[in-house]
Amino acid sequence: MSIRDVLSPFTAWKNLFRDPVTIADPLNERPGAARYRGFHKNDMDKCIGCGTCETICQNGAIDMLPVSGVPAKLGDSGLRPRIDYGRCCWCALCVDVCMTGSLTMSNEYKWVESNPDLFRFTPGVDKKHWDNAELGYQRHAEKHLTPGERVEMPELEPAARIGSFTEIVDGYSIEQAKLEADRCVSCGLCIATCPAHMAIPDYIKAVRDGDYERGVQLLYETNPFSQVCGRVCTHRCEDSCAARHEGDPIAIRWLKRHIIDQVPQEKVLELIGKPAAPTGKKVAIIGAGPAGLTAAFDLARKGHAVTVFEAQAAAGGMTRYGIPEYRLPYDALDKDIAVITAMGVDIQYNQRVGTDIAMQQLQSDYDAVMLAIGLHQGRSTRIPGSDHPQVRKAVDLLRQITTGEKIEAPKSMVVIGGGNVAMDIARSMARLQLQQHGEIRVTLTALEDKAHFLADPVEIKESLEEQINILDSRGPQACVIDDSGKLLGLKTWKVLSIFDAERRFAPQYDESDEQIHEGEMVVEAIGQMADVSLLGNELTEKLEWNRGRIQIDSNGRTSENWLWSAGDCVKGPDVINAVADGHRVAISIDSVFTQQEAKS
Amino acid sequence: MSEASIERLKSKTTLKDILEVATEFERTARDFYAALAPKVQKNLRYLVQELAEEEQRHYDLFTQMAERDDLEQQLQTEVERPVNDHKFSDCIHLPDLGEQPDDQAVLQYALKREHAAMEQYHSLAQSTEPGAIHDLFLYLANEETKHKNELEKVYYETVHSGGV
Amino acid sequence: MAYQPDRSQYPQKKADGTLDIDLASGKYLKLWQGPQHPGITGNMAIELTVCGDEVVEGKTHVGYLHRGFEKLMERRTFMQCFPIVCRICVPEPDFNEYCYAAAVEELAGLEVPELAHWIRTLILEMGRINSYLMYLGGQAGAFGQGVIGQWTTYVRDLMLDRFEELTGARIYHMFIIPGGVRDNLPEGFAARMETTLQEIESTLGDVERVMFHNAVFKKRAVGVGIIAPELLDSYGITGPNARAAGVAKDVRKDQPYLVYPELDFEAVTGKDSDIYTRADVRRRDLLLSIDLIRQILVKMPKSGAVMTKLPNVLHWKIPRGETYIRGECSRGEYGYYLVTDGSGYPRRVNVRGPSYTHSIALFERLVVNANISDVAALLVSLHTYPPEIER
Repeated sequence: MSIRDVLSPFTAWKNLFRDPVTIADPLNERPGAARYRGFHKNDMDKCIGCGTCETICQNGAIDMLPVSGVPAKLGDSGLRPRIDYGRCCWCALCVDVCMTGSLTMSNEYKWVESNPDLFRFTPGVDKKHWDNAELGYQRHAEKHLTPGERVEMPELEPAARIGSFTEIVDGYSIEQAKLEADRCVSCGLCIATCPAHMAIPDYIKAVRDGDYERGVQLLYETNPFSQVCGRVCTHRCEDSCAARHEGDPIAIRWLKRHIIDQVPQEKVLELIGKPAAPTGKKVAIIGAGPAGLTAAFDLARKGHAVTVFEAQAAAGGMTRYGIPEYRLPYDALDKDIAVITAMGVDIQYNQRVGTDIAMQQLQSDYDAVMLAIGLHQGRSTRIPGSDHPQVRKAVDLLRQITTGEKIEAPKSMVVIGGGNVAMDIARSMARLQLQQHGEIRVTLTALEDKAHFLADPVEIKESLEEQINILDSRGPQACVIDDSGKLLGLKTWKVLSIFDAERRFAPQYDESDEQIHEGEMVVEAIGQMADVSLLGNELTEKLEWNRGRIQIDSNGRTSENWLWSAGDCVKGPDVINAVADGHRVAISIDSVFTQQEAKS
Repeated sequence: MSEASIERLKSKTTLKDILEVATEFERTARDFYAALAPKVQKNLRYLVQELAEEEQRHYDLFTQMAERDDLEQQLQTEVERPVNDHKFSDCIHLPDLGEQPDDQAVLQYALKREHAAMEQYHSLAQSTEPGAIHDLFLYLANEETKHKNELEKVYYETVHSGGV
Repeated sequence: MAYQPDRSQYPQKKADGTLDIDLASGKYLKLWQGPQHPGITGNMAIELTVCGDEVVEGKTHVGYLHRGFEKLMERRTFMQCFPIVCRICVPEPDFNEYCYAAAVEELAGLEVPELAHWIRTLILEMGRINSYLMYLGGQAGAFGQGVIGQWTTYVRDLMLDRFEELTGARIYHMFIIPGGVRDNLPEGFAARMETTLQEIESTLGDVERVMFHNAVFKKRAVGVGIIAPELLDSYGITGPNARAAGVAKDVRKDQPYLVYPELDFEAVTGKDSDIYTRADVRRRDLLLSIDLIRQILVKMPKSGAVMTKLPNVLHWKIPRGETYIRGECSRGEYGYYLVTDGSGYPRRVNVRGPSYTHSIALFERLVVNANISDVAALLVSLHTYPPEIER
C-alpha cells in the first residue's frame, strides 16, 4: 500500500464535470437495431397457414387459428398464427422456419396496454403500429432449417428411352427417398388438396422411419391404386406443398411409388388382410377403371359380391388404354389390379354393357349398379377436312397401341392439342416413327400459349427432349387435302390471345400468319367425352342431367336410386379424383345396404 | 338473317320499327331452339334450352328498350361501349343440325347464327348515316357479339377439355 | 498483511469432527444472507452461524432459481433446445449456445463453416467482457464502493449495443445455432466495436485507479479469501479462481477450441489467490479479451457461409452417441455433456457451470472464520451465477 493508493481514488472526482451517460427519455428516441428481434409481423399475402411456426415454437406461444376474412383454400389452411407474448421468448425460430418468408420481426420493442389479454395477438391481422416497420429481424437469405431442393429423380436419358416404351422414371433408392422424405414439414396442406385425402405426411414419415409396411397400410387406407398414382397422378398435392414457396415441393408422388415398390406383392396382400364375411348383396360395376375398381375393392372388403363389366380385354380403363407404357408399365398396373381381384372382385372382360348385356338386366340382377365408364370418345375440331380417314383421334390410337394392334406410323404427322393426351400420343407415335422409319417428324399445335398449356410442365419438357416440334398459339383451320384426296397437313392461324381477363375463352387470331404443317396424319387430342349410348333412350330420359353429365348427388348416386356413377364420366379426367369418387360411391352403396338390412 | 330480312330492316326508318323487327328475329330464334329441345337427347337438352332462354332474354331486352321514352339517349350510352369481336378457332361452318345433333353441332350452329347476325347488324350500321338509327344497329350488333362471346366460352369448355 | 488462519479456537469439534454448536448457549447466532440480499449474486442463500462477527459455519442454499432446463430439453427437439440453453446463464449466455451447438454438431457429424467459428469466438469474447464488467461492479459494490458498478454498467451497455446489432438481441442473443451462426457481421461493425473497446479501456483505466489503487479496497481484499493451490483439483476449481492461485488453467490454451489456436495470447495468472488477486486477474483477462477481439476482427474472413446445411430440423434425429464439449467462460470451465439415443430428442443434457463447484463446496470451506462483513465480497470473488448451479 502506498500514498498512491490513497490519492488515486480521488481521480473519480473528474466525473463531476462529465455529462451523465443516462438518457432522460431513452425509449422514445432509440430504435432497435436493424436485426433486432422485436414484435412480429406477418405478411397476409404470403402466409399459407402451414403452421411450421407453431410446430417449432418450444414455448407453445403460437396457436394456428381461423381468422375471419381468410378462407381456407387449396394450399392455404386459412389459419394464421396467434402469438402469446406471455410465452414468446423472441428466439425467432418461427421466422427462420417459415415456409414462405411471411413471418418476420420488426425492430419495435415498446408496446403499452392496460389489458394483458391484448398481448396475445395475430400479427398481420391485428393492426399494429410496427406493421410497416422497415427494420427488424429477417430470416437469412439462405433458408437454413429445412432443405429446399428436391432429390432429383433418376430417369432414362432421351436417347436411351426414345427407341422403346420402357418406363422412363427409375424410382428413388431408399437413401434418396429418405432424404426427400426428410424435407417434408408435415403441415398437411396436401391432405386437404388430395381428392382422396391420403395420409401424405404420415406415409412420408413411414419413409423416413423405413417402415414400409406401415406405409403400405396407410396407402391402402385411402387408395388401392398406389402403383398407378405413384407414377401418373396429377399430384395436385404438390401444388399445395408448403415447400414449393421457397424451393421445390416434396416429391409426394414419387415417395408413394417408393413405398409400394419396396413391399412385395404377397406382403401387401398380407398387410391389408382378408375381406369381411359375405353379406349376400350383389353389386354390378360398369367399367374396370380406377373409379369402378376402387369401389369394387371397398365393397368387396365389406363382403359384398362385386361383378365388374369391362368392355375391353383387360382392366385399368384409361390408365391402361390411355396412358402410354413408358409412363405407366402394364405390370405395375397389373399389381394394383391383382390386389383388387384377390379381394374376390369378379371382372368380366369383353362385356360391353348395352351391347353384350343390357342395363335393365343389371338393374334386375343386382342390388346396386355403378356406372364408371370414363371418357373414351375423342372430341373432334370438326374443321374442314377433319372427316378424312387419316385424321384420327388420340384416344383411339392410344387404345390401339395398348391392345398391340399394328399401327402404320406416318412419316410425318400433326397433333392438335396441348394437354397430356396430346403429349402422350405425340410421344408414342414418335417412338413408333423411330422404330418404323428411323426418324421422328411430329408437330404438335396447341391453341394455348406455352404459359397456359394444359399438359404438365414435365410432359412438355420431355416431349421437347424427344424431338416433338411443339408449336403454341396455333388455331387449327383446316386439314389440307390435295386433289387426289391425300392428306397433306394442317392449316393453322396464329392465336394472338386466347383468354380474356376472366381467364375465359375468347380467342383472337392473326389471319395473316397462316401456316401449313406437313403431316400424312393429323391426330386430334383436344378433349374427350363419355359414350353414354349404353344407357338407352329410356334411361337417358329418366335420368337427371347436369350440363351434359349424369347428375349425381354428393355420394355419387344418380336420380335413379339403384344407379350410382363415378369417375371421369361425371367428374372429368383425373385418376385420383376417380379413386376418391369410387370410395364415395362404395360408402354410399354400403350404407344403403345397411339401411335395407335394418328395415327387413 | 336472310336478304329479305335485311331489306326489311333497311326499309324501316324509326327506331321503334327497327327494334320491332329485331325483336321478331329473336323470337324466331327462340322458337327454333324451343322446338329443337325435345328432339335432342336429354343429356344435351340443357344446351338448347339455354340457347332458347338467351334468345328470350334478348327478346325481353329489346321489347323493354322499345318502350323506353329516352330510347335515343339510352342508345347513345350503349354504343359507346362496344364489345370486341374475335374470330372463332375451329372455323365454324354452319352444320346441318339434322334430327339428333350432338352438343358440339348445336354449339357450332348457334355460334354461326350469332356471328352472322352480328356481321349483318354491323354492315347495316355502316350503311346508315351517323345518328340514332346508326346507333341502334351498332347496339344490336353489340348485343349479338356479347352473346357470341359467351357461346365461345361454353364451346371451349365443352369441346376443348384438354384431354388431361 | 499476512493471512492468519484459524483465528478462532471455538467452537470445539465433537468426536466425529463436526462442530459443537450449541445455539442455546447464546454464543452463536444464525444469520441468513439471501435469498433476497444485496450481497448475494442472484437468487441463493447462505445460512451463516456466527460467533460475534466471525463466521463459524456457512451453508449454501440453492434451488430458488430452479427451472429444470436439463429436463425440459429431454422433451424438446434438438433445434427447440437452442432457445432454451442461453437462459442457463443470464449474464454470459453465449457459452451455453456454443457448447450445446458444438455438442449437437459433433454427434450429428456436421462441419461448421470457418466464418462461423470466427464469429462464435468473437461473441464468446464479447460475452466475457460483459461478464467481467458486471463482476467488477459487483466486487466493488460488495465492499460498498458503488461508483464502479455505475461505470462498468455504462460500458457494458455499449457492448450490449454491439450485441444487439450483431445478434438482434441484447441479453439472450440466440445467435450461435447448431450448424453455425445466424448471420455475418453487419456493415461497419468492426469500426463501431473499436470505439466501444476504446471506451471500455478508458473506463478500465478509471477502474484501476479508483478500485485497484485504493487503500480501502486493498485493506479489505488483500489476504482475504485465500484459496490454497492444493485445493484446486480436489474442488474442481477452474478459471480465474485457479489462475489467481498461480495455476495457468485456461481451456482456451489447454484444450483449444474454435479459432483460439490462431490467436496470440497467454493465460493471465496471479499468485496471491486472495480476493484482490482474483479481481486483478479478471481485470487483466478483460483487457486480454479486448485484445483478442481486435485480433479476431483483423484475422477473420470477411465473407463466406455462416451455416452448414442442416437436415429438416422439425424431425431431426441424431445417432446414438455422447460427448462433452468444454469452453473457458469468465468463471472457468463451462461444459455440456450431451447424450443422444438416435431419437429426435436429447437423451440427457448435463450442464457443467463453474459456479456449481466454486460457490457451494468451496465457498462453504472458505467462509469459515471469515469476518461477517467479508462474506458478500468473498462470494462475489468466486464469481457466482446461480442459474448455472441449478440447471
